[in-house]
Amino acid sequence: MPGPLEGVLVLDLGQFLAGPYAPMILSDLGAEVIKIEPTRGDSMRYGAPFIGCQRGKQDLALDLKRPEAQEIVLKLAERADVLHHNMTKGTATRLGVDYHQVTARNPEIVYCNTYAYGYDGPMSISGGIDPLYQAVLGLEYEAGAVDQGNPPMYLRFGMADTANAFASVLGVLSALYHRKVTGQGQDVWTSLLNGGAMFVSEVALLADGSPAPRRPSMDKELTGLSPCYRLYRTQEGWIQVAATTQAQWAALCATVGRPELGADTALATFDGRVAARATVDPVLEMAFEARTAQVWQALLDGAGVPAEIAVDTRGGETVLHDADNRALGLTASYDHPMMGHMTQFGNLIDFSDSGPGTYGPPPLLGEHSRSVLTRFGWSEGEVDDLIERGIVYQAAEGTPYPWPI
Amino acid sequence: MSGPLAGVRILDLSWGVAGPLGVLMLAEQGADVIKVEPPGGDPFRDAPGSPVWHRSRRSVVLDLKQEEGKEAFLKLCATADVLVEAFSPGTMAALGLSYDELAAKFPRLIYASVPAYPEGHRNASRPGWDALVQARSGAQYEQPAWRPGPAHLHMQIPSMGACFLLASGVLAALHARENTGRGQHVATSLYQGVLAYTTMIWQDVENLNAPDSLVMAKTYPPGVHQVSIYECANGEWMHAGVTVGREATCTMESILGIEDPDPARIMTDLAYRAEHGQRLRAAFITRDRADLVEQFFEAGIGCDPILSPTQAFDYPQLRSNNMIVEVDDPEFGLMSQYGPPAVLSRTPSEVAGPRPVTGQHSRSILAELGYDDAALDRLAASGVI
Repeated sequence: MPGPLEGVLVLDLGQFLAGPYAPMILSDLGAEVIKIEPTRGDSMRYGAPFIGCQRGKQDLALDLKRPEAQEIVLKLAERADVLHHNMTKGTATRLGVDYHQVTARNPEIVYCNTYAYGYDGPMSISGGIDPLYQAVLGLEYEAGAVDQGNPPMYLRFGMADTANAFASVLGVLSALYHRKVTGQGQDVWTSLLNGGAMFVSEVALLADGSPAPRRPSMDKELTGLSPCYRLYRTQEGWIQVAATTQAQWAALCATVGRPELGADTALATFDGRVAARATVDPVLEMAFEARTAQVWQALLDGAGVPAEIAVDTRGGETVLHDADNRALGLTASYDHPMMGHMTQFGNLIDFSDSGPGTYGPPPLLGEHSRSVLTRFGWSEGEVDDLIERGIVYQAAEGTPYPWPI
Repeated sequence: MSGPLAGVRILDLSWGVAGPLGVLMLAEQGADVIKVEPPGGDPFRDAPGSPVWHRSRRSVVLDLKQEEGKEAFLKLCATADVLVEAFSPGTMAALGLSYDELAAKFPRLIYASVPAYPEGHRNASRPGWDALVQARSGAQYEQPAWRPGPAHLHMQIPSMGACFLLASGVLAALHARENTGRGQHVATSLYQGVLAYTTMIWQDVENLNAPDSLVMAKTYPPGVHQVSIYECANGEWMHAGVTVGREATCTMESILGIEDPDPARIMTDLAYRAEHGQRLRAAFITRDRADLVEQFFEAGIGCDPILSPTQAFDYPQLRSNNMIVEVDDPEFGLMSQYGPPAVLSRTPSEVAGPRPVTGQHSRSILAELGYDDAALDRLAASGVI
């Protein structure tokens, strides 16, 4: 069965992570994605996790500084549904592929440019990478518990890059739906700042500028938000509890042998427990040291207290090789000509009627230059000429890069 | 509403974070969202995010456990394009509202589920609080804390992945429906929400010596970008010296008034690199952050202040890009909140209204379905609405 986006053609002119990840998600959903890559390679190809955002794409390597290459993009854009990239402001215009230049050839295209700092404002001219948006939005401040006297902490999940990509999937798919209904394409933009803001979307200010209430903060040890909603170290391993109701809190305290805390009316609410952390946390911490996380998990399950062992996946290994995950399609494997057998996450979304994603390896630089061009109307002789003149790069058998690695 | 999803009606039965936030993104692209709440209201109305995550929709109270409530709900389904639910597995089936039952009646309906774990997963029946999925998925161990062991993540990674997956899945299914004429079941989960953020770090590659095969290194603590964090005067922090694709006109050191490092030595001599790092830190801690940010930006050196979530509202780029919206919440009054994350030129995203009061639109929505005043009074008397 085809994916839900079968028949959608996407041109991906992005580099690094924030640009290419959204087209990869569109590819996972069944769209055909052609990655248009500089002949020297995506800036992330050799120094960072390139493979995390390229699977399933075809690769056409072009020297976009050449007018002939720009014309190739415009010709392909005539047939495309979506053009997506993360060039800094002004770059697309210099390369002849901005919204107006592209819509002159295909007025119905959905065109998405994702930025770093947004489209407007004094910093919109600048690029930027993930940690900067974790910084300005408050993620690093809260992750490290700076208000407790700690340093800020970078979250190693590439948060803002990834959220930016999902914001652009949201914008592109909304615009594609609108086009299905009305026939009209449009210009869409998102940014790392816009996408990252969703992580702190619960933060709001009251009219007097003070923060809206009820938002708990973390402790200095980074265990959690409340004695009833935090990690505890055990004799062996850590366990996260989420005893959010009074009944669960009482059961938690009884299970670890401190029933008097569960009966204390001052601790009957989440906020009451937060207020008493200085005295309650040490008591429960000591209680949890008495048994292993495995034993606590069984006892808390039996008492109806929501709790989970904090699992060390050893860098994702236990997740990627988990039989359940594999059987459910949560992991995907494919073979790459140089990297060999590869595994990463699989289906992020399951569809009952449209098929599951079909995933392929990340492409080599220029791996599909010839096949893409000939399919879209260039003759073999024209392609030979474009390659010879350095406008197109095609990976030769056995030497996939234009220089020795 | 005139957004790209104008004419799309969504019934939102979800609670928690991922469901309401994913639905919010669709609501502010123009979908007509009806929040279906149990008598007494969604228990997550007390959550700090409720004024934001529950805005841009109408609210109807329906007791789905009563026959008349279910009957009214089925009438609503007949008018809907999308249903979103976030219950634990089996809950909808127990109400007689499983995907199979509704698909038989409403073949065009897109039925979206966002539980904690995917159906069929060994953890599917385990409790689904965000922090529990953080623990079970390995996200907490992936983020080393200041002490040995896992870190609780204040930012709710599982939910913050699943909200985007939910919105993307619904949109893809809407797209497919235009081709096939049929709705379908779209399912994602908080667990898959975590996976969405592992693309840089969880890869298994057979030939580790191949070019392109790098995965982001795990460094303690807590990641590669931690090294560009510096403390300035007055306990303020910033990132500095980050690559932003601009040509720098001078070095960071020249602005800080210290000597540039020997470019060859800093690449090969670890002790020298550590000493230089100490010189940098000693220089930063005496300097005013705002002053440095300005000078670095002028010079094309990537940097930003590390702000608290509240301070972030004063970051100029947010206002420049209209990312902050004013919303008149029924409980808190006028609030500054984050607006929609994607900007569409022809069909602008917009906030459709503040969070509704529980059941604010019960009578008007049911009246649209043909219930008259007498019928509505009866439903109210029996606690159905």
